[in-house]
Amino acid sequence: MSLKSYIALLLFVLLGFACVWRLQERIDVRQRAMVSEDDQLMLRSSKLVKGLSLEYAPLVADIYWTRVVQYFGNKQAANQVDLRLLWPLLDVTSVLDPQLMPVYHFGSTFLSDASPGGAGRPDLAVELLERGLRANPDEWRLYYDLGFVYYFDMKDYAKASAALYEGSKNPKAFIWMKAMAAKIATEGNSTETSNFLWQDVYNTTKDPLVKQNALRHLQLLRAEDDRKQIDTVADEYQKWFGRRPVRMSELVQSGLLRREPVDALGYPYILSEAGKAELNLKTPLRDKWIKAPASK
Amino acid sequence: MTRIGTVALNTFREAVRDRVLYNLVFFALVMMAAAILVGQISIGIEQIVIVSLGLSAISIIGLLISVFIGVGLVSKEIDKRTLYALLAKPLRRWEFILGKFAGLALTLAVNTAAMAAGLFLALFYVKHSIERADTVVLVAVYFILLKLALVVALAMLFSCFTTPLLAILFTAGLYIAGLFVHEMRNMQAGMIDPAIGRLLRWLSYVLPNFENFDVMGAAAHGRVIPAALIAQNTVYGVLYCAIVLAVTMAIFSQRNLK
Repeated sequence: MSLKSYIALLLFVLLGFACVWRLQERIDVRQRAMVSEDDQLMLRSSKLVKGLSLEYAPLVADIYWTRVVQYFGNKQAANQVDLRLLWPLLDVTSVLDPQLMPVYHFGSTFLSDASPGGAGRPDLAVELLERGLRANPDEWRLYYDLGFVYYFDMKDYAKASAALYEGSKNPKAFIWMKAMAAKIATEGNSTETSNFLWQDVYNTTKDPLVKQNALRHLQLLRAEDDRKQIDTVADEYQKWFGRRPVRMSELVQSGLLRREPVDALGYPYILSEAGKAELNLKTPLRDKWIKAPASK
Repeated sequence: MTRIGTVALNTFREAVRDRVLYNLVFFALVMMAAAILVGQISIGIEQIVIVSLGLSAISIIGLLISVFIGVGLVSKEIDKRTLYALLAKPLRRWEFILGKFAGLALTLAVNTAAMAAGLFLALFYVKHSIERADTVVLVAVYFILLKLALVVALAMLFSCFTTPLLAILFTAGLYIAGLFVHEMRNMQAGMIDPAIGRLLRWLSYVLPNFENFDVMGAAAHGRVIPAALIAQNTVYGVLYCAIVLAVTMAIFSQRNLK
């Protein structure tokens, strides 16, 4: 082949792929319009999938787990709250490879978090974690996750305390787990405990999505704390002036606040008509507050 | 053009002699069994099962033929040394490649048409009628044929510069990758490194997108496939085949056959 032929071939291939690219974009648009994508999972029976996987069950479990992550991520990106396939996918994955820890750790978070952050099914999260504990009784981390779900999502503080205490018996467990179990057993829900648990998740996780989720909860907890304090100041204002303040500037002018308080994202808090502190209408936290309050 | 046609016709004859079309017996048995059994073991999804099973069988059988025979098209001629006799005649190497491709495409077209006829017979047996809406099954069969043509082109490309076994593996690998391009494109940016995300997105457009030709679900449920999509997929298939065949011809023309 001559140099000219090579150049011609190269140009043809490049031009051809450019056309393929453009065409593919058009086909994508056409297919999106044609198909309303339904959630489908052909094989829901974990026993059947395990049987079909032969000796490659762990590999198939990895593929299923990847599918779980993609499914959850795509739903989150598209702001879709319908996560009905999450449990069947996790069910199959955990049966295929009962030792695959991320399935229990992240899977329980995906399941238990309230909508739209998760599927809002803490009962299934507990079932998944208990399955994980039956297969891996030495994994103290699963007790920690179980305590987390009981504490935040089911508000069953006795069970949360029991799970943390059970996990704390493992010598490798976090040293604070026993103390936390006792504290929850005594006090139940408290902002201090919630803060500690989320801060621990934030500090220890390497996964950016989980880190972001923990940060969001920490910001919401701070907002809740701030609101309580502002309300206390507003009560004080009412005692002094005989009426509730309706603007934050009134609290500043009265000298009760040095400056207008702002949330974790820098947006100033506002006062409602009833004189109660609220998040700013423009803060992105407000959306999360309404959908998933930090205190749950 | 005549020379390409001669090679194509002989490739088709060779495939018939090699009893490639015997798979039709297998297909017929599967469809007959399904048509008889499905009515007994399911309620309300007879048509869906027949269409899904029929299209899947057409696709799987076609893929096996495309990959295994496609890879052998060139390598067998070299191994048997029949290629030397052919190239000694007034036949250019690129004409040989095009002829071989056209021959196997013709074989696949005949095979697929026969299977589609079998599928419609089974459908008629189950439904006792064929409706206008069932033409969507024909579109699905046509898309399978486009897909098979693309697989043949890829199999021929790989067989031109590597061993038959590796060529089969490469073709199968590329086919499987081509079924996941949508996933590749939609990988969440937060979950993977942005550079890898960009690379995957780029790859998703360059790799042959076999998902384009998958309308089995729509066909099984009798959903209409827009004419524009049929046209776009046709252009896509033809264009992609042209690119792959151009590269194949270039590689084969440079290959040292001594």
